[in-house]
Amino acid sequence: ASAFAQDAEFTLKLHHFLGPKAPAQTKMMEPWIKSIEEESGGRIKIEIYPSMSLGGAPPQLFRQVADGVVDIVWTVNGYTPNLFPREEVFELPTVFNGDIVATNLAMRDMFDAYLSDDFKDVHVLFLHVHAGQALQMTEKAVHHPTDLEGLKLRVPGPTGNAVVEALGATPVTMPVPDLPQALSTNVVDGALIPWEIIPALKLQDVTKYDIEGPDNQRFGTTTFQVTMNKAKWESLPNDLKEVFDRNSGEEWLREVGKVWRDSDNAGIKIAVEAGNEHIVLTAEEMAEFDAALGPVVDRWVEERSAEGIDALALVEAARAAIAKHSSK
Amino acid sequence: MNSAAGSSTDGAGRPRPNRYVQLVRAAIRYWALAGGLIVVGLVLLTAGSAISNLIWNRPIPGDYELTKHFIAIAIFTFLPYCQLTGANVTVDIFTEGMGLRARSAMLAFASVFAIVFALVLLRQMSLGFEDYLRYPETTATLGLPLWTAFPPMLVSLLLLLAAAVITAIEGWRGFRGGRPGDAAPVAD
Amino acid sequence: MDASFATGIAGLVVLLTLIAIRVPIAYTMILVGVVGTSLQSGPSIVLYQLKDLAYAQFSIYDLSVLPMFILMGGLASRCGLSRDLFRAANAWLGRFNGGVAMAAVAACGGFGAVCGSSTATASTMGQVALPELRRYRYSPALATGTIAAGGTLGILIPPSVVLIVYAIIVEANVVTLFAAALLPGILAVIMFLLTVAIYVRVAPGAGPRGEPVSRGEFVSATVAVFPVFVIFAIVVGGIYGGLYNPTPAGAIGVFLVAIYGFARRRLSIRDSIEALLETARTSGMIFLILLGAALLSIFMSRAGVPQAVAELLQGSGLGPFAILALVIVIFIVLGMLMDSLSMIILAIPFFWPVIVDLDFGMPVDDLKIWFGIVALIVVELGLITPPVGLNVFIINAQAPDIPMRQTFKGVMPFFASEIVRVVLLVAFPAVSLWLPHLLRG
Ligand code: NA
Ligand code: NA
Repeated sequence: ASAFAQDAEFTLKLHHFLGPKAPAQTKMMEPWIKSIEEESGGRIKIEIYPSMSLGGAPPQLFRQVADGVVDIVWTVNGYTPNLFPREEVFELPTVFNGDIVATNLAMRDMFDAYLSDDFKDVHVLFLHVHAGQALQMTEKAVHHPTDLEGLKLRVPGPTGNAVVEALGATPVTMPVPDLPQALSTNVVDGALIPWEIIPALKLQDVTKYDIEGPDNQRFGTTTFQVTMNKAKWESLPNDLKEVFDRNSGEEWLREVGKVWRDSDNAGIKIAVEAGNEHIVLTAEEMAEFDAALGPVVDRWVEERSAEGIDALALVEAARAAIAKHSSK
Repeated sequence: MNSAAGSSTDGAGRPRPNRYVQLVRAAIRYWALAGGLIVVGLVLLTAGSAISNLIWNRPIPGDYELTKHFIAIAIFTFLPYCQLTGANVTVDIFTEGMGLRARSAMLAFASVFAIVFALVLLRQMSLGFEDYLRYPETTATLGLPLWTAFPPMLVSLLLLLAAAVITAIEGWRGFRGGRPGDAAPVAD
Repeated sequence: MDASFATGIAGLVVLLTLIAIRVPIAYTMILVGVVGTSLQSGPSIVLYQLKDLAYAQFSIYDLSVLPMFILMGGLASRCGLSRDLFRAANAWLGRFNGGVAMAAVAACGGFGAVCGSSTATASTMGQVALPELRRYRYSPALATGTIAAGGTLGILIPPSVVLIVYAIIVEANVVTLFAAALLPGILAVIMFLLTVAIYVRVAPGAGPRGEPVSRGEFVSATVAVFPVFVIFAIVVGGIYGGLYNPTPAGAIGVFLVAIYGFARRRLSIRDSIEALLETARTSGMIFLILLGAALLSIFMSRAGVPQAVAELLQGSGLGPFAILALVIVIFIVLGMLMDSLSMIILAIPFFWPVIVDLDFGMPVDDLKIWFGIVALIVVELGLITPPVGLNVFIINAQAPDIPMRQTFKGVMPFFASEIVRVVLLVAFPAVSLWLPHLLRG
């Protein structure tokens, strides 16, 4: 892309919190950028700033793009609890069914009618999820919700808190880099986190059991946004807006799903090769978990309804949209 | 990182301390102490949570996010006191070797930085406060709104401004009159 | 060279100039960071950042450990632990040639086990040991030099404020770093003791032997340091054993020292208030520097300066160890001008990216630890080197009749000993890596 650098009409800064070698950058953001730069004929150049190198802590990313401190961000919606109350529906267990592509597409389908209020202050390029929260345990093989009672589990965010509490375990919050130490010293007994993180943290060295449901079913997921500053978006001519739209549509969301599925598969492969037991729950066992996690959704509906959001309709629409794309 | 610059200067030879200045000094000191008490509160919270975790296998819910939230508030309460007592100048031990007038000039010069910093941050963080009211982000477990950190932080910045003005005047007077311009420690 | 990069280099020159003319380092970094970023891309960007950057930068869990350990050290300084330590060390070592100085070194090491700061260790031990050293007619150079150098053990032996800050900058695990510092810390104590032994052999009369103590005094002095061991075992041992994170460990440390102080009636409410205000001053200063570093690094990474430093050194054709040696020399020079913490905060973001890409035959996690310990010892040197040696100033201020030159002369043998130690740690990474590997299992 550097060949175009001199002539670019629009140089955009993309800020995110992971390192430059993370698959999210090399396999998702970089190909996306390359395609956009090429299709724009070199009129757009996007510079990536990884590892929060433009300042602030990860929760600031959303405010940075809203304010125009940077032009584009890739961030986790749950880093700023309460700011994306509608989008949160896709993080819920039993709503997210383990199908990354279907969920990415469902968020796209529902955006205008249901989700846009969460993102009034930015322009959404695309939303996506990761493969979903699985259980990675140090000592305990888990087959039933009761196996988790009284244990301590590291949670990824507010939704994870509710999941862990519903399973009778204690949620523990900590920065991701502290996780290996916490697992090896039994500060926590396990973590609710996808496989994809395994190689980066060498979790295979500190865990023995990796648990998920059948057909990649998980216990909720995490949603991400790739958003552009609104004024910056408005400043782009229509043909360049179209370049972004073309490269962030259905085809791209399928590709993003594949990227996250592949890195998740790569993670569990490493764990299994290191001698971990990969437990895939039976349909009956997963049904027990779903039953235990049902109240998480009910409580979410109750809390969000109290804020004046039609949360029940959101849950139903999300389930239907995900089902529609899953069946394809 | 210690009080090498904190050579105590008694009131002898100085103009009689202004009553309002004394009041502001006391306010700054008590404000920092209040921040110190927040740290003590966090000591009890985190130690309590760790011990509860060891004995009953249950940490105190939200200990992590409360620590994050309150440590920021506490640090802000410390900034005016740092300015007033010259804690920020301590890297700069060389001043010991300089004359009193030069030292006072340095203090006044450095205080100007602090004044500008306090003014800019006061304005921008007021805007930030509005933002946090507009996007009501909360902590993950307890749902504590993050904007609650801003009022005490803004008060801290006001006091920082006051502290910097005091040290600037002291520096200026010291420069003019050749008297010690060190930010006099208020610890009695 | 593009304009942004040129601005970055100019910013660096302005920064070093302002530091050299003694503008407080935190405000210097803030000023250069804000003005530099404004020049690059207009003032609005950086002004937007300031709406919540300070809040974001202070509201970090891992940083909350700093005030905890600072308060713990502040309380420890006020409840006579230093006196107990010196008395015990003197009972054991005082009877040898140079024994009182050796006792001061050992007591500094012991105090370092409950205090995370070198300057606090130096000033606290100075108040206790300096009068004794002078009573036994130790040469002014040896007397002050020993304590100034011994004070550096405060940041080497865990807990250590500087190590915590390093861990945050390079995203390393504080626990692992605390583990890594233990053996090098013990090695440092042993080498400082040897340094004293050699010193008094070369300069007889510089360090006469003290009086042998009675058996009763020996026993009671030894028993009196028991609380220090208990506090260290619970706080640092608990961290090593994974019983709790560093922040709760620091909190438990504050708690234990306070209980000890109040129970022995050595700590008054007034002392506690002073300790809190000291914590306010020290923490406020550190966090303001961290904020300055954050603003400066926004400017510098936009300008591509750290990347350019990395490319320059990597393209120099030097081998990994030659580059490491170069970095160490740069650190020693910077350390002559700056305090240890400012230096870590300012220099590590420029040089860590260089080091991490070099092949030292060890994984990145080990490299972080090993380089961190080496860097720690090098910044320790800055505390005792002229012209700005913070520990030297502190000790010298406690003995105003001794010329500063004498104190700098007295620390020179210890400086040499530290250089030998740096070489040892570079040559034998196992000294720092053994315990972390053992704990990791
Ligand atoms: Na220490
Ligand atoms: Na120095």
